[in-house]
Amino acid sequence: MSTLHSLRTLARGALRPPENDSAFLLDVHRRAVPTERMARYDPSYEVDLVIVGAGAGGGVLAQRLARRGWKVVVLDAGPFWDPDKDWVSDEAGSHGLYWTEERIIGGKDPVELGKNNSGRGVGGSMVHYAGYCPRFHPSDFDVFSRDGVGEDWPLGYGDLKAEYERLELELPVSGDHWPWGDPHRYPHTPHPIAGGAEFAREGARRLGIEMRVGPVGITNGAFGNRPHCIYRGFCLQGCKVNAKASPLVTHLPDAIEHGAEIRADCMVASIELDEGGSRGPARVRGVHYFDRDGSRVLQRAAAVAVAGYSIETPRLLLNSISKRFPHGLANGNDQVGRCVMVQGAPQVAGRFPMELRMYKAPPPEISSEQFYETDETRGFARGFSIQTVGPLPIGWAEHVLAAGHWGGALREYMRDYNHWYTLGALCELLPHPDNRITVAVDCLDRHGLPVARMDYAQSENDRKNIAFAKQTMRDIFAAAEAQDMLEIDRYAHLVGGCRMGSDPERSVIDSDHRAWELDNLFIADGSVMPTQGSANPALTIMALASRLAGRLAGKQVSGAGRRGLTRAR
Amino acid sequence: MSGRDFSLPDHLPNHRGGEPASPDELPRQRNGITPQMHGRYPNHDVLDERDHWDGVTRRVVLERVDQGPPIRFFTAGEAVTLGVFCDLVMAQDREPRVPVLNMVDAKLFDGKLDGYRYAEMPDDRETWRQVASGLDSSARQHGDHDFASAPAHIQHQVVDAFSRGELRGVVWDSLPCARAWAVVMRAVLSEFYSHPWAWNEIGFGGPAYPRGYARLGAGQRESWEGSPATDSDPVRERPSP
Repeated sequence: MSTLHSLRTLARGALRPPENDSAFLLDVHRRAVPTERMARYDPSYEVDLVIVGAGAGGGVLAQRLARRGWKVVVLDAGPFWDPDKDWVSDEAGSHGLYWTEERIIGGKDPVELGKNNSGRGVGGSMVHYAGYCPRFHPSDFDVFSRDGVGEDWPLGYGDLKAEYERLELELPVSGDHWPWGDPHRYPHTPHPIAGGAEFAREGARRLGIEMRVGPVGITNGAFGNRPHCIYRGFCLQGCKVNAKASPLVTHLPDAIEHGAEIRADCMVASIELDEGGSRGPARVRGVHYFDRDGSRVLQRAAAVAVAGYSIETPRLLLNSISKRFPHGLANGNDQVGRCVMVQGAPQVAGRFPMELRMYKAPPPEISSEQFYETDETRGFARGFSIQTVGPLPIGWAEHVLAAGHWGGALREYMRDYNHWYTLGALCELLPHPDNRITVAVDCLDRHGLPVARMDYAQSENDRKNIAFAKQTMRDIFAAAEAQDMLEIDRYAHLVGGCRMGSDPERSVIDSDHRAWELDNLFIADGSVMPTQGSANPALTIMALASRLAGRLAGKQVSGAGRRGLTRAR
Repeated sequence: MSGRDFSLPDHLPNHRGGEPASPDELPRQRNGITPQMHGRYPNHDVLDERDHWDGVTRRVVLERVDQGPPIRFFTAGEAVTLGVFCDLVMAQDREPRVPVLNMVDAKLFDGKLDGYRYAEMPDDRETWRQVASGLDSSARQHGDHDFASAPAHIQHQVVDAFSRGELRGVVWDSLPCARAWAVVMRAVLSEFYSHPWAWNEIGFGGPAYPRGYARLGAGQRESWEGSPATDSDPVRERPSP
């Protein structure tokens, strides 16, 4: 081993991320983000950038640009969470973390939303994600060229690699050396794993399937003023410890320190088109929102970045109607809302003689990306990853119900909770234009805005992928000598809906995240992804936003016939 | 008390043609309360740990135990039908019961919905009302009784068909049966397994902030986590030398 390797190992966990002091700006004695010194902009003042949504994309974009001197306002529909006061170690009590206002789901294979995959409030869905932070593989960026399915991205892995490395230091991510995709190491060492994960890993080993610990955005050792994880297991209910990474603790404290304003409880209704210039590319001049008192306000801005995720971002564009864009902003080619994706996320649980108590430790423990890419012998394109999940009692009850049990049988499986352990797959389901977000004009929310409707159907390739992943998990538990198994079909994550591309006929934004039809409108969340791989999307959403920020700040965003971004300074 | 060996799976429905072992073979709960006092972990009362929980969690959990919310959303008739339904699907055949229907009622009354609705389904609140009338009409297909007063085997038959999405008739022709089952059961399970009595029954350690968990390995438990009723037989298992 080289000296460089030894030095890196020595420095593990002690590396301070460059240009992000968030972990050190948090208070030692309370979990809430200090906001006493936060800037407050008057809505009539034209800020450089208004960002809609304070999640993975919006949070990173705000921090990066605030550091470069931009005046940034971030609007979020939900609250500015205080983990001490707002979050509980309780499943049912965490209802407020999700988007619980009405949405309609349809199509042949409807996707249930709510607590499964929706976020609300400052920090976004990362407030209640499990914590897995894998990178995408290099193969994800040219799926169509390689496999003849899906879509190629207008950028490549090389465009994101440095962003991934930087973010892994900032979150920070802990895990084993990672052998898949572009092999890499993690700044924090792997967490200890619980008994159930030991059984699953041994079952996988007997089948020649390699599983590694991590990668999770959970501190392993103190990190600035964020303490070590205490393995309480309520990652999906919001981390009261501040050990798990979300933009709330990883990027927004630094954004605030550098002059960004996070304006919570503000539901953006529409984006205001600048009616002044009728010739040339259209421009936007701000956003209309309902403030916490229900008053309608216009925040003026030189540029707008939408980061409301795969449902609210298309909804906002489709609800922004003007004479020039009668079918929704940036929707001249009828692409907004199309190709929204979810990952197939079946879970298989195995029963063991010993008590495993899967409610302890963070649910994300070990994972395998051995099945990530296409293997023609499997009979379908692309693949899946295998991870661990630790359902709490209500989640476990849904598992048992899905296996067809109710009444006394359900109670008996529930009483057996402590003997079970659960694996979950993430299957890459392919984009399809008819899988789509639209707005239901006959169904309005409390502000009078049309709600979103999501239609979804699986393809034949998708079904084969999910079936193969389930069989693989059953094989692992069989090899681990599980005494009984239960399985559930479900979905996880959301991406796509406003995808980036190189052809305006088939995408909403270009590789600089700028709407094809508008000069100063950007999209910076998971909705921009043309394909989704079988990796959890959080880290890649952050990496894309980080890259965009670098290009905006470096004045690299330009286009033929477009005016440069004017900055009000 | 029989010396049941929980290292074996023979009490589980998949190993017994779908029928679970009778919970009456378990000892009675000795510490705290479980629904119907089944004592798989007879000495484990998660509420003993309340002083170790953070204040906001303690308030949320204890309110759930202390308050039996009144029925405000459902009509008296609906409440009778749905009360019997909730007892059946959760096998709550005697006191003490987790007041599932009251908890569901409170959530619907407050309009706390889950954030999505199937396109072919009404609002969850309306779905619950239609399920009540659908259960009654399905029971009447087998005789003169409403669901609540029908003989036990009819009730069981109706619920079983409901669980398989196979109810047909007046209400069900316009209300997709399988989706309706998913809507009501999601709510029932969320309430039942949010209750500390249910946590006692399944041996769940409960909230663990700020204390956390330290013993993560197979077969390990924290000093305060309950041990199962019969996982060792003092006669068969002698202390190791």
